[in-house]
Amino acid sequence: MMMTDKVLSKEKIGEFVDGLSGRYTVVAPVRRNGSPAEFRDVTAQDSIVIDGSAALMPPKDYLLPRYEKLMRVDTRDGQVQIEAPVPEAVPRVMLGAWLPDVKALDVLDKVFLDDKFKDPYYAARRENTVTVAVVPLKPRWSWFCTSVDDVTEWKSKADVLSYDLGDAIYFEPITERGAAILDGAALADPTDGQVAAKEGVWKAFAEVPHCAFAGKDLYENLCWDSPIWDDIAQRCVSCGVCTYVCPSCSCFDVQDEVCGSNCIERYRCRDTCQFEDFTLMGAGHNPREQKVPRARQRLMHKFKYQREQFGITACTGCGRCVEMCPVNIDIRDALCTVCSSEIETTAGTT
Amino acid sequence: MSEETTTLEKTTDEFVEKRERQPVVLAILCNWCSYAGADLAGSSRLHYPENVRIVRVPCSGRVDPMFVLKGFQKGFDGVMVLGCHPGDCHYAKGNYYARRRIAMVKDLLTTLGIAEDRFHFEWVSASEGNRFAELINEFTAKLAELGPFGGVAGNG
Amino acid sequence: MDDVQSRIREEARKVLESGQVSLVLGWGKGSTPFKTTPVFIEKPEDVDRLVWNPACVNNLSVYLPKLTKDKKVAVVAKPCDIRSLITLMQERQVSRDNVYIIGLGCGGVVDVFNLDEQDFHIQDVTGLDWDSGKLKVTAGSSEYVLDCSTCLRDMCLICTKRSPAIFDVELGEAVLPEELCAGQSVLPDIPEERRRYWSEQFSRCIRCYACRQVCPSCYCTTCFADRIEPKWTAKKATADEAWMFHATRAMHLAGRCIACGECERACPVDIPIAELQREMNKITSERYKYDAGNSEQDKPLFGQFEDEDFDPAHHSEK
Repeated sequence: MMMTDKVLSKEKIGEFVDGLSGRYTVVAPVRRNGSPAEFRDVTAQDSIVIDGSAALMPPKDYLLPRYEKLMRVDTRDGQVQIEAPVPEAVPRVMLGAWLPDVKALDVLDKVFLDDKFKDPYYAARRENTVTVAVVPLKPRWSWFCTSVDDVTEWKSKADVLSYDLGDAIYFEPITERGAAILDGAALADPTDGQVAAKEGVWKAFAEVPHCAFAGKDLYENLCWDSPIWDDIAQRCVSCGVCTYVCPSCSCFDVQDEVCGSNCIERYRCRDTCQFEDFTLMGAGHNPREQKVPRARQRLMHKFKYQREQFGITACTGCGRCVEMCPVNIDIRDALCTVCSSEIETTAGTT
Repeated sequence: MSEETTTLEKTTDEFVEKRERQPVVLAILCNWCSYAGADLAGSSRLHYPENVRIVRVPCSGRVDPMFVLKGFQKGFDGVMVLGCHPGDCHYAKGNYYARRRIAMVKDLLTTLGIAEDRFHFEWVSASEGNRFAELINEFTAKLAELGPFGGVAGNG
Repeated sequence: MDDVQSRIREEARKVLESGQVSLVLGWGKGSTPFKTTPVFIEKPEDVDRLVWNPACVNNLSVYLPKLTKDKKVAVVAKPCDIRSLITLMQERQVSRDNVYIIGLGCGGVVDVFNLDEQDFHIQDVTGLDWDSGKLKVTAGSSEYVLDCSTCLRDMCLICTKRSPAIFDVELGEAVLPEELCAGQSVLPDIPEERRRYWSEQFSRCIRCYACRQVCPSCYCTTCFADRIEPKWTAKKATADEAWMFHATRAMHLAGRCIACGECERACPVDIPIAELQREMNKITSERYKYDAGNSEQDKPLFGQFEDEDFDPAHHSEK
């Protein structure tokens, strides 16, 4: 399989999707009513956003659905019947995932594709999905990817790396199975100008100026008694939006519900450490009833505990929490503060 | 990508599933007037459709708007709340509070696009066995005309 | 609004220095020029952190019940924030004696999602200000003067109560919207279409509860949505469960919502939650001549009744 770069003119996106639909289920971001785009199964007729230009809910919403049926137990006619569906391992192509989102899948893989226990639901989708990461024409104002990791290493995280050239999308295959999706008639070979433009798009992304906390040892600096927790907790309204829009947050709840007189359904749904009742235990004890422990948990889990566990930083700088927090608690400011003795704002660094 | 199933599939009783599809009604009746009225209809052997699920509350003032909303969410084709006539409440004022609250629920349902005819609110006293049977018949007939409730969400 | 901003800071300094209050709650510079963040000022030397500009969106009354439990605080408040505060006082969550209200006349505040869809790039924005009934945005080296309808929070477009209802000190001027939209409903007329409209909106709900958490009127220690016995609404993010949550919340806020629009602004998936409340408010206003947040002396709407109340009961034809 030749690993050649290809270019797709934006008017031919439908044709491209059509070409893939025979062999794969195509998954791409779709906007509805001006709200952030969401990943759905799409056809050539759908209007999709694969250049990274729109606000986007993370791919985890597709790979780990917000509501997933795990089991159904029926006891009709005196018999106990258990249905435990596992999604089929159908081949999928996921277009238009932001590059920091694809990198965040590494974190989800560590949690759900562990050696000791592999989550069959996540695995069925993840392992059979060819990922096409996108670097948009202009990095989003809230992105701070370059401050949390060496982004050049991220080039190998997707099966295909794509770049928005404005009127076209540039595809760069990274893996064999990535190259396999780029054989359609809708695609053309890149011109020299397009290759240069692609390099420019990458450069703009890779050279986003660092925040003040970049390069500092977050691992060492994040400590239990930092005054930053009080500052965050005071303003935080415990809404949970930050964790819901985060591409690497994966906490879930499992609930059993009665669904008729003879059956129960077990399902998995989202949960968040930011809810007051997240650590509420059966006997009534709640170690994180106050906001300070919850604020602390969020940052330390993301930047310290998961590094201890998995050896990688769980935050990929996608900036959604920064954009969506209703009270403008900016994770970048918080990290700057723990690494220095004064509060430094990041206004003007992006 | 979220998988939607009509909750009606999950919560309709076996009994109803086996029979021909008929409107299922949730009726919330206050103990002292409307429930007694329903009782009277029963002991008078007045006929009314049996797909009415009655929930007895001490007073219409106890009716939390959530009961009505939950009824629709669970897939009942129609919901009704019946209470004592104003001035006749066993607890003196309960039904006056209910009047304001239920009026608001009605408007909320209209705002949400639930057909007005699916929610019924009326004052029925303990001696109005006839009226009770009559209104159940009317309500069920109306619901049969409207067709099964498609659920609060989804394209049913 | 530089002048008002300096006066806010002066007032804050005054009440802190005199010991009248132990904390001033207001808005401070955000992490970007088009956002602000709530600030809790305890020392007079910190008052310069307070700002006043069209990015001051937060309804700060949401913090007051907990803050005023054991101390007196000053709050820098827009007229809508004050109406929330009045509702909280009606419901005995905040005592008037524990709040010093720095009331502001308002010209409306921005919605960042709307700002993001203009001709300039949002990351180039360096300043926001009101300008004679319009909005002035400085982006890069250019200045844009925008109609308020393009980027203000939706609720601000129909707000007519732009002066503080109660206050200890009043600063700034109310600027009424240029076009008073009568708050026409955007809902489809036909019930079935309306049902589908809401079904589509609620199908996006992720049950993050941002709408609930930013609302000052939602202060229940345990929300009905978090109860498991009885389980009024399941945690799963399906459209029908979201419907149950939002419909019930709409009922719980009937007669108590002051229509600030924070719920809509905080929603990460752009559900028009406040639209539901706006319809409810129209009805309570017309039918019972009652507006939430008018006066501390008002009794809660559904905690009272009149003998001649509108009777929604079906009247059978005999």
